[in-house]
Amino acid sequence: MSGPILKLENLSKAFGAVQVIDDVSFEVPRGARMALIGPNGAGKTTIFNLMSGTYAPDRGRVIFDGRDITDLPSRKRIGLGLARSFQNIRLMPHLSVVENVMLGQQSRAGSLGAMLSPLGARSRWRRQAEALLADMNIDTYPGEVVATLPYGIRKKIEVVRALAAQPKLLMLDEPAAGLNPSETAALRDFLVQISEGGTTILIVEHDMGLVRSLCDRAVVLNFGRLIYDGSTRDVQKDPQVLEAYLGSRHAGEGVHA
Amino acid sequence: MSGYLAGIIAILSINVIFAYGIFLAVASGQLNLGGAGFQAVGAYAAGWLSANLGLPVALTLLAGAVVAGLVGVALAFPILRTRGVYLVLATFAFAEVVAGLILNTDALGGAMGMSVPGYVEWQVPMIGAVVVALLVFYLMTTRFGLTMRAIHDDEDVSDLMGVSIRNVKVAAFGVGAALAGLSGAFYAHNFGYIEAQGFNAMVSIYVLLYVLLGGTQTAWGPLVGAAFFTLLPEILREVLPAAKEVVVTLFGGVPDGSRPDESWRFVILGVLAVAFMAIRPEGLITRTMVERLSFRRRTAPGMKEATE
Amino acid sequence: MMLFLQQLVNALMLGSVYVTVAVAFTLTIGILNFLNFTIPTLFMLAGMVGWALSYWGLPFGLSGPLHWALALAIGIAAAIAVSLIVERFTFRYLKTKYGDSTEHAIPLVSSLGFLLIVENLVRIAYGTEARRFPGPDANMTLDVGGILVRIPQLVSLLITVLIVFALVQMMKRSRIGRGLRAIAENPDAANILGIDTKRIVPVVFMLTGLLCGLAGALFAVNYGEVAPMMGEDIGSKAIAGMVIGGLGSIWGAVLGGLCVGLLEMMTVHFFGADTVQIVVWGALLVVLILYPKGILGHHSIGKGKL
Repeated sequence: MSGPILKLENLSKAFGAVQVIDDVSFEVPRGARMALIGPNGAGKTTIFNLMSGTYAPDRGRVIFDGRDITDLPSRKRIGLGLARSFQNIRLMPHLSVVENVMLGQQSRAGSLGAMLSPLGARSRWRRQAEALLADMNIDTYPGEVVATLPYGIRKKIEVVRALAAQPKLLMLDEPAAGLNPSETAALRDFLVQISEGGTTILIVEHDMGLVRSLCDRAVVLNFGRLIYDGSTRDVQKDPQVLEAYLGSRHAGEGVHA
Repeated sequence: MSGYLAGIIAILSINVIFAYGIFLAVASGQLNLGGAGFQAVGAYAAGWLSANLGLPVALTLLAGAVVAGLVGVALAFPILRTRGVYLVLATFAFAEVVAGLILNTDALGGAMGMSVPGYVEWQVPMIGAVVVALLVFYLMTTRFGLTMRAIHDDEDVSDLMGVSIRNVKVAAFGVGAALAGLSGAFYAHNFGYIEAQGFNAMVSIYVLLYVLLGGTQTAWGPLVGAAFFTLLPEILREVLPAAKEVVVTLFGGVPDGSRPDESWRFVILGVLAVAFMAIRPEGLITRTMVERLSFRRRTAPGMKEATE
Repeated sequence: MMLFLQQLVNALMLGSVYVTVAVAFTLTIGILNFLNFTIPTLFMLAGMVGWALSYWGLPFGLSGPLHWALALAIGIAAAIAVSLIVERFTFRYLKTKYGDSTEHAIPLVSSLGFLLIVENLVRIAYGTEARRFPGPDANMTLDVGGILVRIPQLVSLLITVLIVFALVQMMKRSRIGRGLRAIAENPDAANILGIDTKRIVPVVFMLTGLLCGLAGALFAVNYGEVAPMMGEDIGSKAIAGMVIGGLGSIWGAVLGGLCVGLLEMMTVHFFGADTVQIVVWGALLVVLILYPKGILGHHSIGKGKL
């Protein structure tokens, strides 16, 4: 198959009088590692929520893998291959690590038979989930309840949970937030590994170091508008992007990191 | 076996089945405060079929569960739209409507109650309780159980993971209603007499507290909760008369030396409810506790130094 | 026509008892998003303590039987005191860690626990049967153009109206009222804005105790009878009134309480007293499912988790 994996066409969304997303269009090429950046409040997470179906857009269309999914219920999107992580970790606190990952398999296991067969030690779902955790080098005990685990590991588990759906496009919302430099470097290798497995990655991230070393392309949002769509190498030379960042309180921290 | 012990085992078994019925709803994030309503539907369905059509007990027990389950599913769809306070109120209101309907239906004996033929000995509810417990334990190991717990933790993310919230919630609520109905059917046949007043709002409250205090994270919780509170009055038979005199004096009354009634049991249940909610709101039995006790837990290296 | 008017007046009188308790329910739900199951118990407690003091006097033989008005005042104080104890255990120590669905129900479950404790202690201490309350003659009537109005009921109605007005004014104008409204909008934001929630939340519980205690006292005077079970019936009708009027709205609770009084009167008139339970709870269930906002309710309240 060819063509972009994801296409946003003229998306707009307002909350009350505030135009959060204003006529945004861009494409995510198949197999790309793409960044969605912009100052705080630019509408990045809203774009994610529009893509995953948490919000319905006021205008515009979301086209995934050649199919218009604008009106598709949020629950069905992950089954098509659109999986995401969240800005604030949203793992199920009372589920163990492996159970959280098995929850990620749900889109492939929703039949009545799969729902009613046990997920014991010999179940193929559990073995798949454990294998995926091992592949991704998460060497914590998989039976541990996630509420007690450290932040960095939970952040990674959330990515693995999304991967368990075997997505075509993985959307990550600030995966490096709250991580120290060595954890961030590990996360980068982890994402490269995922990408080499053939999964397209769209990432919202403030850490420009991570963005530049991971992504080849970037789109930049400011006040809900698209102001840049091109390579990550040139993004910091773009006058509009510079203005957006320097005019905001993130001037010093983001772009030159 | 003495009649006394047989009676305790029968009521224990009925309470365990009842608690599992409410547990299935609560474990999927739906606080069902209408337990007595479903139990009444099951009891009256079994009682009526037995008294009027003379059906064998095996069939009336099944019918009690099925009718209550269908009523549960029928109620689950409209109340899916409600959450939190609204869900609690809707289930509570349902139970009140059921009690009111029974009181006003002559075919069900109205306020007079109803005699139920087809007596079953304590063994039958006990076998029923064992089967139900095994069933719920099994369900909790399946993906259905996993999605129930996921919905309890975070409904929105469960939806994005592809879980059909509606199907899982309706199924959990419906199967739970069927179990509550089954407990009612066992009650009807074991006691031989049912009346609407026996299924009042307090009954719904008690069973919900059994479940919440036992713990909703694992299938052990309702078992422990129901067993503890059913057996508690037996344990306290000796302690209570003295305590009663103190309280009567404190409230300005005159102790008359009469034996305390079951009010005491509910004072203790209330105190434990308040204490648990303040100290250990997840209930007595938690997943971590079960893992520790089952010796399956290994300590992961490098996990100790790193906590939030 | 005359009969209808008389029925309407009776419904108004009946409804005014529900109104006070419904306002207490709606206040805790509207501000704290907390369905407080101790409310019917507080109502009962004021009546029962009032009865015990006017019958036995203070405990440990400290006094002989008290005058009914003083006894009821102490009963109301008891309701407020218990309500503040409830606050300690439901809100003061509450910490939500995960925000899951049963965790949000912690205050509700706690209040169920308190309901069991207080109600059963009262039964143990005072017995289960209904008691005659030695108040003023409840049957003094006033003839207004052929319609009979009982004077104690009229006084109760006036007191109820006065309380609701005072409450609405307090919510609108006073500092505490503004603080309470801020908490209702967004508890976290209220905290950030410098509103001391730890000091202001008990106010809700004090008001709850006061409203319920007062309603219990008025009930005792009007009906000349109190019973450990008296809270259940009133509580259920107040909940119905609150839901029909719309959760979180004071005027909604007033309107809803009166609606339930009217509904009850009409049901008794047309179908007999036995069906009241079905009609009132049935109406509640239908409103919850079809029109959960109620007549005057907020859209936002109760929409989320508990």
